[in-house]
Amino acid sequence: MNILVVGLNHKSASVEIREQLAFSPSRVTEALDRFCRCFPSSEVVILSTCNRVELYACSPKTSSEFTEEAIFDFLAGFHGIEKARFRENMYVYQDLEAVNHLFFVASSLDSMVLGESQIVGQVKEAYATACSQGATGKVFHQLFQQALNAAKEVHTHSKIAQGKVSISSVAVEFAERIFQDFSDKTVFIIGAGEMAELVLKSLVEQGVRAVMVSNRSYDRAVALANECGGKAVRFDSLEEELAKADIVISSTAAPHYVLHPEHIKGAMQRRKGTPMFLIDIAVPRDINPEVGKIENVYLYNIDDLQGVVSQNVEERTREVEKCRAMVEEEVEEFMAWMEEMKIVPAIARLRHHFHHVGKEELERLRPKLGNLSEEYWQEVVYTMERTLNKLLHRPLEVGKEEAKNGGGYRYVETIKKLFGIGHHQDSSP
Amino acid sequence: MVNEANLMEISAYSPFWLIVVFYLLSGIWEVGRLLRPEGFSKQWADRLPFMAFALHSLFLLYLASRVENIPVTNLFESVVFLTWCVVAVFNGVEYLYGVPSLGAFLFPLVTVLGFWVLSLGDNLLGTPSNLSKFWLIAHTIPLFMGYAALTLTFVLSLMYLTQQRQLKHKFFGPLLLGLPSLESLDRLMWKTLSFGFPLLTLGLVFGIFWVKYSNILGPQWYMDPKVVMGTVTWLVYAALLHLRIGVTMHGSRVAMLNIAGFTLVLFTFLGTFFLGAQHGYKKVSKEDTMIIKGIKE
Repeated sequence: MNILVVGLNHKSASVEIREQLAFSPSRVTEALDRFCRCFPSSEVVILSTCNRVELYACSPKTSSEFTEEAIFDFLAGFHGIEKARFRENMYVYQDLEAVNHLFFVASSLDSMVLGESQIVGQVKEAYATACSQGATGKVFHQLFQQALNAAKEVHTHSKIAQGKVSISSVAVEFAERIFQDFSDKTVFIIGAGEMAELVLKSLVEQGVRAVMVSNRSYDRAVALANECGGKAVRFDSLEEELAKADIVISSTAAPHYVLHPEHIKGAMQRRKGTPMFLIDIAVPRDINPEVGKIENVYLYNIDDLQGVVSQNVEERTREVEKCRAMVEEEVEEFMAWMEEMKIVPAIARLRHHFHHVGKEELERLRPKLGNLSEEYWQEVVYTMERTLNKLLHRPLEVGKEEAKNGGGYRYVETIKKLFGIGHHQDSSP
Repeated sequence: MVNEANLMEISAYSPFWLIVVFYLLSGIWEVGRLLRPEGFSKQWADRLPFMAFALHSLFLLYLASRVENIPVTNLFESVVFLTWCVVAVFNGVEYLYGVPSLGAFLFPLVTVLGFWVLSLGDNLLGTPSNLSKFWLIAHTIPLFMGYAALTLTFVLSLMYLTQQRQLKHKFFGPLLLGLPSLESLDRLMWKTLSFGFPLLTLGLVFGIFWVKYSNILGPQWYMDPKVVMGTVTWLVYAALLHLRIGVTMHGSRVAMLNIAGFTLVLFTFLGTFFLGAQHGYKKVSKEDTMIIKGIKE
């Protein structure tokens, strides 16, 4: 069998090219169908995420039309773009390398964010879609199940997925060390921005219910408040409302500080020492750093959060070697299975050969025995079969062992020579 | 004349050495778990304190059966009893609220107290033998339990200030991740304080009744250092409670006041012994020892 992966990812191609080759969920099924029609007797899985587009295929060794060029042509044809546009961004891996690649991808060792957990789900999904389209066979069932297994091993037995590696999750991590229960907490958002929204989203996931939004433009504040189910606050009344806020996320585009120590001191007096958590995501900063010195106030700016992210990323990177070793073990297990699969047809033929000879001999024997009762005759047949199976037992065991150690091919050739079981056109499953 | 049982042979101390070593190991294990969670198994973090507390309880029963009273007849017994109360309250808090890393702060404190009293050797202080059993129980049990709860408040305050420091300085590490949130520590400080304070009050009230009833501290009982310090401690905690309820003060100031309150507790409990205070105890003189030995012979 020939396993082939053709694809591109965030490292090899820009987003402009990735988006042209990406498959939307509905088009994946169509592509799988078309691929199976182009290359009958092949197995295929298409993995399309925002960071990668990869086509995994496998076909009998002998099918000569099954080459990387053919797959490039298929992709170009399907997406209606010229091959030359994406060719140099593509990587192609075969057999062991292809298996290695899939296992790395599934274990998130090839991801933009090391150890992220989404990719496992995406690989699972891609495999399930291919299964439901009947595009997978024995090899890919084994391959993908083993890849998902490897991913699970890596995630549970290493620290690759530990430590938060996004600004918003680190912000929540800090918030969790200040507050115990988020359901009675109020989040105050000043300004707007993607990062602020991400942090807010993570906080809402933690149970925050009350949200207040303030913006220079009141209309924009109202619009934002409506989006996140919060309350809009006029910029002028910011100071009065501040005392109600347990968590403040600031990300205005103002060129100067928006919140000063006197604002927060006033608010803290009214809060009677209940801690306040301020996150300043803006650059240039919105909150005067002096604010951080006020008692029971915890101020973090984008660099503080980014610093923790980098620290955690570094820790994950340190785990890569360990994960690589774990993945390689799984890869070896799969390759051993593949080797075993190689000898399966030879063994089937050997068994068939033995039983065929036995049957011939029995047929020759039957007339010589005259009117032997059916009962006795069955005894004879049974004895013959038992003898043959006993004789076959050892070659079979040895074959599996040889295959595991990579001697499958030599074994098959030896069997063929020894028993003269002929050269069939295909020796693979 | 002091209680004969006060004159313990040094050998009677030795089981406590073992108990304190168990607390030391518990402390080391808990601190290890906090700083390097992967290196210290949870199994032993559960086992060591359990074994320490079980031995401690047995030893306390032994001491009680020896003096046929609650074991507070000398300083050694009092510390054994107090530390037992502390760990008992700790177990209650753990059971009810499951506070992460509480043991890492508490066990070292218990260990230090234990080693301290062991280091005093046979420098014995004993209670007079003529004390009323009823009043002794009514006065000391609420006080000891109250002290224990306030010790927990103190430990929680230390944790609060530690966590606050991590957050202020943005130290993102195992300590920050291992300690509970400020809010939960604040709530627990409040809970242990409001458990300890009524007990403290009860103990003091019984003490006043006792002193009025039996005149054991003489007519000038209100000048006794321990009585004075006890009252001061009580006033500090009363003020703290008032601030927490009335003005609703949270955060670091409460934590710092708790720590101040606890130093008063320690001083009241242990410090006054060294001011030559008679309260309940007196220094056992060589003469006393001779007399008792003479009786024995």
